Parts: sequence; structure tokens; C-alpha cells
Amino acid sequence: MTAILETTNLTKIYGSEQAVNKVSFSLIEGTSTALIGPNGSGKTTTLSMLAGLLQPTDGMISFNGEKHADIRKHIGFLPQYPQFFSWMTALEFTEMAARLSGMDSRHTKIEAQKTLEFVGLGEALRKKTGAFSGGMKQRLGLAQAIVHKPKILLLDEPVSALDPVGRREIMNLLKSLQQNMTILYSTHILNDAEEMTNQLLFLRKGELVEQGSLSDVKTKYDSPRYRVEFASAQDALTFAARSPWKVSYEEIFAFIDLDNELPEMNAVLGYLANSGLGIRKVERQTSSLEEIFMKVARQE
Amino acid sequence: MKNLIVLFQKEWRENTRNFKILWIPLVFIFFGLSEPLTSYYLPQILEAVGNLPEDAVFSLPEFTAAQVIMATMGQYQFFGMLVLVLGFAGTISRERKNGTGTLIYVRPISYLSYFLSKWKVIGTIALVSVWLGLLTTWYYTELLFGKVDTADFFAFAGTYSVWILFVVTIVVAMSAWLPTGAAATVSLLLVLLVQIVDSLLGAYWTISPWKLAIYATQWLTGSPDATNFWWSIVVTLIAIVGLVVFGVWMSKRNASKTKI
Amino acid sequence: MDFLEGIPWGIIAPIFIIQLLLLIIALIDLSKISDTNGPKWVWALVIIFFSIFGPITYFIIGRKQG
Repeated sequence: MTAILETTNLTKIYGSEQAVNKVSFSLIEGTSTALIGPNGSGKTTTLSMLAGLLQPTDGMISFNGEKHADIRKHIGFLPQYPQFFSWMTALEFTEMAARLSGMDSRHTKIEAQKTLEFVGLGEALRKKTGAFSGGMKQRLGLAQAIVHKPKILLLDEPVSALDPVGRREIMNLLKSLQQNMTILYSTHILNDAEEMTNQLLFLRKGELVEQGSLSDVKTKYDSPRYRVEFASAQDALTFAARSPWKVSYEEIFAFIDLDNELPEMNAVLGYLANSGLGIRKVERQTSSLEEIFMKVARQE
Repeated sequence: MKNLIVLFQKEWRENTRNFKILWIPLVFIFFGLSEPLTSYYLPQILEAVGNLPEDAVFSLPEFTAAQVIMATMGQYQFFGMLVLVLGFAGTISRERKNGTGTLIYVRPISYLSYFLSKWKVIGTIALVSVWLGLLTTWYYTELLFGKVDTADFFAFAGTYSVWILFVVTIVVAMSAWLPTGAAATVSLLLVLLVQIVDSLLGAYWTISPWKLAIYATQWLTGSPDATNFWWSIVVTLIAIVGLVVFGVWMSKRNASKTKI
Repeated sequence: MDFLEGIPWGIIAPIFIIQLLLLIIALIDLSKISDTNGPKWVWALVIIFFSIFGPITYFIIGRKQG
């Protein structure tokens, strides 16, 4: 459990606007971290500072414990809309990327080719990037980010511009990279975050308002909600009308929201047992990340 | 400096594929040809186009060989500078504007290599173009007007080359500092306007990069004042180094302005 | 047109060859490039009808760099 990358009070101020404010987190080697937050919450700014494009106003980035390290040597970066020289072919660009990242020029051509095949551009190696579609650019963007086998992969909204099929394919590629790289990616699509993450970072207005593992965050923000399935819609209606709790109902289901889970749940079960209503199933529901996101984003 | 080679290759490939390594030399050769030819055939051209009255006494100046070469340089000093400035003012600024720079700046490159890769390629294109053009003009001038001493010609072209390198350095440094439009404007002001100012007010000083073109032509008719000439060369070389340092610093500082 | 007779074409020819080369290079580039500033056909006319300055103007402002 060693932190490969650590930020301490990372801050970026533009004029009077605090784009990123005292953000501290660490990335554990070999894990994936999702950076989530509404638009304008500072996700891209944070990634740009880590990528070495922006100079932090304050704070520090350390790599493997080395303070103020030039982490450009150890990262691969995929911007949200990667731009390529239109006169270059995919192979030429990927090879140049590998060499500029310090890879030995004897291996770059083979590595570039292998990487392009891995991202699904095997057919387009010698095509000029000027003729690439959005999806192909995203794939090439991924190729140039991983060709030199960086320790850390930074991805800004890697799949949000893609259609569902492309999104699925890129997510699968990223998952297969997880074993060898430490990944930090921003996204506003929470299904993606739920699918591939060891750690969640919630940004809101430039501040890190929540962080932790997916299960930790879920536990913390989970509001206990039970779903009761009745034998008939009439029973559900009766329950909703008579019970002393906050209950909503829909067809044969009733939903009970509890403030104080443990003591109240006992009462609920007792009430149900003596109610004489036909009950088929009682189950506890967990909040989706989407719901938690809304909660965190709204709280002040 | 390992990535200097990679960046140099990228720059070279770019200028091959956008045809700059072809069309820019051709433009300079064109002026190198057209100047001696039009000077020589001017009477015939006027006769062919002109409705000159029969008895109009129209005495055309007789050009000397040196004057013809100077006239070619005169074309370079305006059209040539325009081509170099407008052709290359976007070399760094454009990569920031369209975001192609981003994937270079996130890599562990040195901005000295980044700047020098551009400076070397553009400098090479500019110098090769100017030399091809001047050699052409020299050949045609000797053919049509008379001999120009070899040593004189090389002293002239060599001096002018230092000025060209100065111009190229201005353009690349401005592109590192400013957006493309402003980089072109400031470069043109520095190259064309300052030159006019220097020639109007410049009687008060004798050492300046903007005097190099005049000193270059003086090699054709005699020789420039040695002290003024050598000091101007030294000052220009120092200015070039200064502009490179400024350009490297600006490339680095402005990397954060690249479109992400 | 007797004034044409005295002209040594061997000396003058290169100037036309260069203009032709510039025109051809500009047209090749125009046909390959995906996008120009302004309509392509206008640039084709500019390149063809304005000798020397047509191709130069195209290369400087016509072609979209990238």
C-alpha cells in the first residue's frame, strides 16, 4: 500500500477564482481512482497540474515520496479532446510520443505498432490523423498515453465523447490496463466510475469534499431505504396510509425511508408481522453512486 | 538534448509535407531570376507595353552588376521578409492554439530543444532559400551585366545571412511569446518598420542589426567600415542569443496556455 | 510581335518554369488538403490566375495548418 503519487494542498488560483483549493489525496500503486464532480468543479485543472501543464499556485505533488518531482517522466496523459498533427500518421505520432517520453528509439516502432493494435487501430497505422473520426482520435489518444508504459495514467473524461459501443470498448481496454498502471481518471458518467474504481474523489467548486473507497462512500451516504413487496396493490396502499413512517408506494411496492435504521427497523418488522397484510418480500436497497453524487454535489 | 533529434525530425517532416521546403526556396529563386531579367529587358518591356511617343527621349539608367544584386536583396528585404514572417509566425503559437502542443508539453521535453528544433529547421529553410536565390541572381547578373568578384559576393551573402538568421530568430521568439496574429505583426514591425526608422534616424549610430543589410551591399562596391561592421555582427549575434533565451522561456511559460 | 524574336528563351525560360512549379505544387496541395480557409474552388482560381502571388497567398493564408 505505497502511495505512488501524493498531492498536498494542491491549489490553483486564476485571478480571484479558486479553480482548485487545497486538494490533498494520494494514489496507491496499482489502483484506479475516479475523480468526479459537476462541470467546473476543477477536475481538468487538477489533472493538468498533475500532467505538468499547469503550475500549481500552491501546494505540492510528490512522486514515490520525492517532493516537487517532474512527474512528466512517469505519466501518460489523455486530454478530453486530444489533438494531433493532421499531417502525421497514427504510427508516426505514436512513435514520436514514445521517443519524446524517453523510450529507446530501437523499440519505439514495434511498441507503437503493438499499442495501436491494442487500442484497435491496427488497420489505420498509416492513415493520416487528419482523417480520423472522434472515436479513432480517442483511441489514438489512449495509445500515445500508454505506449511508453508509464507508471501513472491520467485520463480526462476518457469515454464521455464516445457512443455506447465505443465507450464499452474503451472501458474494457482501461480495465485491462489496471493491472500494470495506476490510473486516475475524471468522469461525470457515474456508471463508469462504479465499474472501475478503488477510490473516489469528489470535487465540488474546486474543493475535495469527499474521498474514500467506493464501499466507504456508499456506506457513509447511504440512506436506509427498505422496499416491501405486497401481495396486492391494495395492501401496499393500506400500509402506506396507516403506517407511522415515511412511506411512498408504487403498485405493489412500498418504500420506507428511515432516519434511525436499527431501532426503527425492528418496529417496522413488528408492525408488518401483525398487520395482516400479504407480504412477499422485504429488502434493503443501497443508493446508487448517482444518488450519492447528487447528495454530495448539493450539500453546502 | 536527446529529444532535440525527435523534435527536429517532426519539424522537418511537417515542413516537407506542407511544402514549405519547396515553395519558399522557389519564391526566393523567382526574385533572384526576375530582378536581373527585368532590369536587363526593361527597355524592351517598356517598348512593348508602352505608348511612348516616338521622339520621347527616355533615358534609362545603366545598371551595374552590383546594383542588380542589391536590387534583388531589396526585393528580399520586403517580399522575402513578408514570406518568412507570415510563413512561420505560427510555428509555436499555432500548436498552443489548436492544442497539438498539449501532447508534446506533457512529455519530459526540454523547451530549449523544442525551441531549437523549430529555429534550426526554419533557419535552414530560410538560409538555403536566400542562398539559392542569391546564387541565381549572381549567375544571371554575370550573364547579363558583367562580373561580380567572388570574394565580394560571398562577403555580401555571408553578411546578409546573419541578418536572415536574426529575422528567423525574431519570428520564432515572437511565436513563442504571442498568439499568431500578434507574433506576425510584431515581427513585421521589428523587421520592416524598425529598418525604416533605422535608415531615417540611423545617422546617429552605426552599430545595429538593422544596418547589416546595408553593410552587406557595401561589400559589393567596396567594403564597409570594419569597426562598425564587426560590432554590428557581434551585436546581432548577441541579440540572436538573447532572443533564443527569451523564446525558450516564453515557450515554457506559455505551455500552460495550450488548448486542453 | 517582332520584339519577341530578339529574346533568348533559354535565359528567360527558368522564370516560367518556377511559376509553373509553384502553381503545380499549390494545386497538388490544394487537392490533398482536407480543409482551406474559404472555398477550395476560389483558391484554385487564385492559384491559377494570379501568377507567382496566387500560389504564395494560398500557401500563407489559404491552407489550414494543423
